[in-house]
Amino acid sequence: MDTRIAVHPILGETTKGREISFTFDGKEMTGYEGEPIAAALKAAGVMIHRYTKKEHKPRGIFCAIGRCTDCVMVVDGVPNVRTCITPLKEGMDVRTQYGVSAEPFDKQ
Amino acid sequence: MKRYDLIIVGAGPSGLSAAIEAAKRGMKTIIFDENEKPGGQLFKQIHKFFGSKEHKAKIRGFVIGEQLLKEADEAGVEVKLNATVIGLYQDKEVVVKIGEEICHYKGDSIIIATGAAENMVTFPGWTLPGVIGAGAAQTMMNLHGVKPGQKILMLGSGNVGLVVSFQLLQCGCDVVALVDAAPRVGGYGVHAAKVARTGVPFYLSHTIVKAEGEDKVTGVTIAEVDSSFKFIPGTEKHFDVDTICLAVGLSPMSQLLKMAGCEMEDNPKRGGQVPICDENGRTSIPGIFVAGDVSGIEEASSAMIEGRMAGITAAEYLGYMDKEELDKGMEELDHALNGLRQGMFAPKNRGKKITETEEGIPVSENLLTKGYVADDEIERFPGVTHAKGIHPVIECTQNIPCNPCQDACPKKCISIGENITSLPTVPHAEDCINCGMCVASCSGQAIFLVDEDCGDGTATVTLPYEFLPLPEPGTKGVGLGRSGQPVCQAEVVSVKSLKAFDKTNLLTMRVPKEYAMKARFFKAE
Repeated sequence: MDTRIAVHPILGETTKGREISFTFDGKEMTGYEGEPIAAALKAAGVMIHRYTKKEHKPRGIFCAIGRCTDCVMVVDGVPNVRTCITPLKEGMDVRTQYGVSAEPFDKQ
Repeated sequence: MKRYDLIIVGAGPSGLSAAIEAAKRGMKTIIFDENEKPGGQLFKQIHKFFGSKEHKAKIRGFVIGEQLLKEADEAGVEVKLNATVIGLYQDKEVVVKIGEEICHYKGDSIIIATGAAENMVTFPGWTLPGVIGAGAAQTMMNLHGVKPGQKILMLGSGNVGLVVSFQLLQCGCDVVALVDAAPRVGGYGVHAAKVARTGVPFYLSHTIVKAEGEDKVTGVTIAEVDSSFKFIPGTEKHFDVDTICLAVGLSPMSQLLKMAGCEMEDNPKRGGQVPICDENGRTSIPGIFVAGDVSGIEEASSAMIEGRMAGITAAEYLGYMDKEELDKGMEELDHALNGLRQGMFAPKNRGKKITETEEGIPVSENLLTKGYVADDEIERFPGVTHAKGIHPVIECTQNIPCNPCQDACPKKCISIGENITSLPTVPHAEDCINCGMCVASCSGQAIFLVDEDCGDGTATVTLPYEFLPLPEPGTKGVGLGRSGQPVCQAEVVSVKSLKAFDKTNLLTMRVPKEYAMKARFFKAE
């Protein structure tokens, strides 16, 4: 599934920062420096960013502009990071958020 | 605490425009914006804008954004990004969160230009990953170059739903249906028609029953609703989709004004909670002004004019401009704004059912219920002409404030006249030289160049084409009708991509001559 738009009929070629690596739940992934973490995850096919605290329901990107907080994850150990507006950096440790923790519920 | 003559909240089209006017008058001006980049939503708008020259018509939104940023920079405006204004207090004290720091600023005048936020609707499954706002789709595809999904259902037929659907098609997504609970298409007919002709089906008086999927969207069920918006049993339709896009209106982000104690009102015509303000943007608190969507949902074009109004009004308030100069400036801007507030979609006509055009022509019912003008309706509109040889056929059937086509024609074939909302006519169809400027200039992609009889049993139709890949001349395929259904065989004759067309390619296809007035899109086989 090709999710990145290589050439757009109006915007032309998509210009990005340099390709870098980061981890998602410990798994090595690549993205482009400076793009939102959520964009890199989306391009890699990751849809679930977190599970809600009470009902353990999945959540993903919803507004993509930092308002709704549905896409928050644990980034470099910090929970509740809005991945849709946080720029991706080399070596970032991005984790699915369970409630407010990176530990799955059965281990909390 | 730092002091400024003018503090503006929001670096979108209205905030930037306000800042430019104020800074040009010598005011020490700063804009705070919570985003990483300025421009608000302008950089996601890749379509050509409507209006006339003074409204920057036929220029794409992101280009207007670039122009505004350059102008603001030249005027000496300071723009502080990643800066969220969290409080507006007595004596115009502004509290801003910058990084992890809380900073205090004092403004002698304030302009709130915070814009609007998207509305949402709820249905079973609406929280699943894969249900996104239309703005989210625009952000992902137009700013970050990532497709929001592969197979998408759009809910909402206002201009946002229509424009975003088209943009999704442009970046290679499949839009399986455009759905709206309302009985009629809410946005411009030309926006609907350009989506419909590519084959996207419209379901008016339908809404979402549920989003399906365990941990992400895998499908959606819609059903028809009656006049009280209740589901009609037995009308359910299922679509396999991975994404559901919601475009169900906008609400003003007016919280800061309420916090400051400005008099507010709940005004459905303006989109919700808005400050009470005059046409200059003056709120009930002297020195606090508003501009753009925060004072009533409209278009970016009107937001930019309102911004300029608020900017000069703030300048006069602090003595950087005299009353006479302000009145003169307001008169010009008022004229421009009034131009945009005319026609069927004018704020004053919101919610009204319009049955005929200003010219007295019955509107196309099919356009309002299915998204395209039916073959037996199209001939009654004045731009739809017949002549020997190549000539323009203008399928513009609603009174909207837009007139680039009349200036685009070097031969003056096209006329709109003094009234910017009049339907275009083609008084000199025979003078057409096939240059294509009208086709490329039409923000609604509603102009076609047609040679109804090439003498060999065929006709040619030239249409605006903003998709990739561009078909090569000789490519065989099918001609799609206005409904998006295949109507005939078609072969690409030529594809023109001039710089003056600004990314709107002109695709000419040859079709059997009976289909000259029916085939309106090309699909390769």
